[in-house]
Amino acid sequence: MKNLNSVFAAYLVAWGIFFVYYLTVARRAAALREELEKLKNSLPRNK
Amino acid sequence: MKKQAAYAAFVVLLLAAAAYAAFFIAPTDARQGVVYRIIFLHVPCAETGLLSFFVCFVGNVAYVLKRDAKWDWLGVSAAEVGLAFTTACLVTGPIWAKPVWGIWWTWDARLTSTAVLWLLYVAYLLLRSLIEEPERRALLSALFGIFAFIDVPLVFGSIRWWRTQHPQPVIMGGPGSGLDPTMKAVLFFCWAPMLALMVLLMQSRYRLEAMRGDLDVVRREMETA
Amino acid sequence: MGLGLLSNTLVLLGKELRTELRSRELLTTTVIFILLVMVLFSFTFDPSSSEARRFGAGLLWLAFLFAASLMLQPCFLREQTNDTLSALRLAVSDPFAILLAKLAANTLFLLATELLMLPVFAVLYNVPVFPVFGQLLLVFFLGSLGVSVAGTALSAISAQARMRELLLPLLLLPLLTPVLVASTQVTAGLLDVQPFVQWKGVGFLAVFDLVFLTALWLFGEYLLEE
Repeated sequence: MKNLNSVFAAYLVAWGIFFVYYLTVARRAAALREELEKLKNSLPRNK
Repeated sequence: MKKQAAYAAFVVLLLAAAAYAAFFIAPTDARQGVVYRIIFLHVPCAETGLLSFFVCFVGNVAYVLKRDAKWDWLGVSAAEVGLAFTTACLVTGPIWAKPVWGIWWTWDARLTSTAVLWLLYVAYLLLRSLIEEPERRALLSALFGIFAFIDVPLVFGSIRWWRTQHPQPVIMGGPGSGLDPTMKAVLFFCWAPMLALMVLLMQSRYRLEAMRGDLDVVRREMETA
Repeated sequence: MGLGLLSNTLVLLGKELRTELRSRELLTTTVIFILLVMVLFSFTFDPSSSEARRFGAGLLWLAFLFAASLMLQPCFLREQTNDTLSALRLAVSDPFAILLAKLAANTLFLLATELLMLPVFAVLYNVPVFPVFGQLLLVFFLGSLGVSVAGTALSAISAQARMRELLLPLLLLPLLTPVLVASTQVTAGLLDVQPFVQWKGVGFLAVFDLVFLTALWLFGEYLLEE
């Protein structure tokens, strides 16, 4: 069972990369959605 | 939204199943011991990354010919997701190499080409961030993406032919060369969650870009109003 | 394609060459840059003849690549000041002629500076180059052509972005990895104590040039879109 830690580290790091990437996309999407709502609400008044 | 959550859960399940197969079903390698199990993560990551870049290339060509923003969204999503997979591959590589070869990094053909590939797609994203106007950004980055992807086989070829004369600390010849049938089957199975993950990530990134496109349209309407 | 393209290209090439020869700005700065790299490089390793045979090829090609990434900057940028690019587009029937003329001019400039710097390299690092001059010329030509084809395309792209001066090397250099690898290998073979030509490398460079020329021919017109 030598080097089992390396295997765990590899899995942890790789899954971590995907998870963090997924989170950043979700966060960026949430921020955009908010902005879009704000803009849409202010639009009808202009028209 | 619900559908996506269900799909995400499915991907997580698949990932767990693949990890289970990698740890408990595949036999331990006689020479490398337990550490070789990183292969079930490392190799699928590399292949999925390459596939994502191919998707990016398809999006780029389609954008140049059709000029539909959707293809641009696909291009940028695929490039980012491909970078995530390539990064995972480049990070797990050294973690595997250190106990087996005794060094973190070697300028071996496959490692080096992957590193160059990584740099090319970082440049692609950088280029996108430096052009404001959406249509111009889409067109120019698509053209760069096309050149970058055409370059990939040349990079692989040149590095393989000239950089491997040096003695290599490679023990394992390559995936599939000395693998026993169970290992091969597990490796094949481990590709499934990566593909599913690729689709999931690309989908959510695509949605984000689509929203950004909508926002641009609304903004422009407001400016002209 | 055909005669129109050729004559258009030749006229435009003449224009590029005249512009440059009037000021010689590009050639002068590139030559000085390469010279600078050569001198500075001598401090980073033992500049004896035997060491230079091992590292010389890499030194030369890295210097050429960096110099090219600077030299290619103004290629499309200087058309922007008076919007001369749209005038050019109207003047020619096939926009590919504009790219072809520019890449031919860039190849010539690059090759000229390389040939100028080759004897300087030979003297500074005690490496005889004249017995293999013909073969070196071939490698320099094929390598410079590859650099110019990819570089002309990317300079058309980077000219339209922010931070363009920094952006071009970042886009261009990773793309040129195959050229760097192949031409360094062939040049190293030629600088060896017993010089030999690595035909595989020469062929590879030719393939690179052909592939990128084809890509430029297919997608070049989109590069020049307004």
